[in-house]
Amino acid sequence: MAFPPRPVDSTLHGVVDYMAGATLTTVFPRLAGIEGTRSARQIRTAGAAHATYSTMTDYPLGIVKAIPFKAHLALDAVGALALAATPFVTGQYRRGRSQWVPHVALGLFELASLAMTDPTGKGEFHGDIEAVREANQEDPHRKIYEGPPAVKRPVEVAALNSA
Amino acid sequence: MTRKAAITILGSPEEIKKRWGEAGYRPDYIDSADAGVTFKPAPGDRGTEIHVDLDKTAPGGKLGEMAMKLSGREPLAKVKDDLRRFKARVETGGIPRSEGSPEGELAERKLKQRPAQPLEKSELEKVGV
Amino acid sequence: MRANVWNGRNSVEVENVPDPTILNDRDAIVKISSTAICGSDLHLYDGYIPTMKKGDILGHEFMGEVVEKGKGVANLDIGDRVVVPFPIACGDCWACKHELYSVCENTNPNAGMAEKVFGHSSAGIFGYSHLTGGYAGGQAEYARVPFADVGPIKIEEDFSDEQVLFLSDIFPTGYFGADLCDIQGGETIAVFGAGPVGQFAIASAVLMGAERVIAIDQYDYRLQMALNKAGATDIVDFSKDPDIVEQLKELTGGRGPDAVIDAVGMEAAHGHGALHAAERVKQATRSESDRGHALRDAILACRPGGIVSVIGVYGGLLDKFPSGAFMNKGLQLRAGQCHVQKYLKPLYDHIRNGDIDPSFVVTHRMELGRAPDGFETFKHKQDECVKVVLKP
Repeated sequence: MAFPPRPVDSTLHGVVDYMAGATLTTVFPRLAGIEGTRSARQIRTAGAAHATYSTMTDYPLGIVKAIPFKAHLALDAVGALALAATPFVTGQYRRGRSQWVPHVALGLFELASLAMTDPTGKGEFHGDIEAVREANQEDPHRKIYEGPPAVKRPVEVAALNSA
Repeated sequence: MTRKAAITILGSPEEIKKRWGEAGYRPDYIDSADAGVTFKPAPGDRGTEIHVDLDKTAPGGKLGEMAMKLSGREPLAKVKDDLRRFKARVETGGIPRSEGSPEGELAERKLKQRPAQPLEKSELEKVGV
Repeated sequence: MRANVWNGRNSVEVENVPDPTILNDRDAIVKISSTAICGSDLHLYDGYIPTMKKGDILGHEFMGEVVEKGKGVANLDIGDRVVVPFPIACGDCWACKHELYSVCENTNPNAGMAEKVFGHSSAGIFGYSHLTGGYAGGQAEYARVPFADVGPIKIEEDFSDEQVLFLSDIFPTGYFGADLCDIQGGETIAVFGAGPVGQFAIASAVLMGAERVIAIDQYDYRLQMALNKAGATDIVDFSKDPDIVEQLKELTGGRGPDAVIDAVGMEAAHGHGALHAAERVKQATRSESDRGHALRDAILACRPGGIVSVIGVYGGLLDKFPSGAFMNKGLQLRAGQCHVQKYLKPLYDHIRNGDIDPSFVVTHRMELGRAPDGFETFKHKQDECVKVVLKP
């Protein structure tokens, strides 16, 4: 594999997007023991935003294919950094580890997943259709729609043989 | 842990046993290992079965076994290599070679295949062609 | 020489590589005049088949002129024009003697690898991953052909390359798919997939005397080719109505087709909503390698007591196999990589008799250097692409 290995394709990235979005907006704050705090609201917002722009991304699991995949990855990166930075910007980090560690951990997780994601969003056509048409020594439309059938039915063959 | 391997070759037990002893056919690894080899007729028109039983345990216990598996030198894999080469020699007159595995079936080669493209002249000599 | 090599997922490149040389007495070297891109090459291209290595030469459908031969090849002469079958078979083992050439016991030098995945090894194949031996393929200027005294068929008549090239793989494979259906005359056969192999399965069913042959696909242009050229009598376009099973029942008076051919394989396109999404996720995480939509629908659609014939390529494991339908409807499931060597002569006879002109599938012909574009166009079904032939 090339370095760094990027085994995560756009479909798998989408899966993680939605799972992360769902987890962050629902149970994550409770599991991290920060339910009811400012952090919980911040993380929930981040999760909801992430899931929302995922539905609008042009990749296999997007619903409205508006945002190009590379732009989505850029948003992921910006969002990860923003989330990690939030506790330090607001000053809440002074209230204890639980008020900044989850943010930083989530940010790192997101950046790691980005490092492993293949940004070419494979699955799209990358050929040059005009070049192909020019290089093609055959006429596809004619082959499909013109001329006689290419196979004889046994009845026809028998008739030919007996004639 | 299976310590036995078997293969079936098209040919009568007498013919096969005779070939087993001949130079150019005699399997290297099975010879050097302390293995029990038996020949049995296979059912119907299928020829002869050869059964190989590796009695001795691998040196170094379980860890030694794993180390050998990872470097491709695990005894059972080498026994199977030998059996397949013997079968190919007897039935077809040679061993199958591909560009990925130009030496023919070799347990070590499975971990480090050549790319499936023709060999350079220098590689051909190394491979014994 | 130049050759089209695998360069990672979704990437092939035409590079300079060494010329092939004789490695065994029964080898021959063929100078390639025409070669093609196969639907199964797309599974390699899409990264679904393991054990590929950068630099592997692809291609298993090729023909050309014998330019060199080992001392063990008596039946061919230098200068002979030959078509080379894709499975490499020794002709001497029990399997070959029983005409099961694609499971030859002596031609995979990586048999140990294949055994781990499949339980046993099958025959070596040109240009199809190291699981099938790591043989260099035929999308190149020259190829080494092992067991040249067993495989290649000599072409003595004055046919164009494209009229005989497909004896290497897709015509025998389609024919084999139809052969497995035990057609006696008068049957209704459904063929899932109207790609090149599907087209030949349809044409073969017609040649064998099936009365109705139904082509199933989501691309109208392929269905039109099936109707106009391959002899299909009906079509099912599942991009318009995804319920294939119901449409097949309707077309057959509620009975279901007598036999169904799966010419689709592991990258089946269509699925019903949630099941398709789940399968795509499982494939992306590599927890399931094969998508089973075509096979599932084939089993559900086939009439009770019928035959499901599988020639679409599968590589690993697939979930949600309709075992209940399969067992309770008393179906036969028959499959295989085609034993090409068995069918070469009878099918060449069909071509010589004028019963079929296999060149009908070719929609694209271009110089070998354009292979990467050829792969992309073929993969994405652009420009009404059905079959791409490459000229070295």
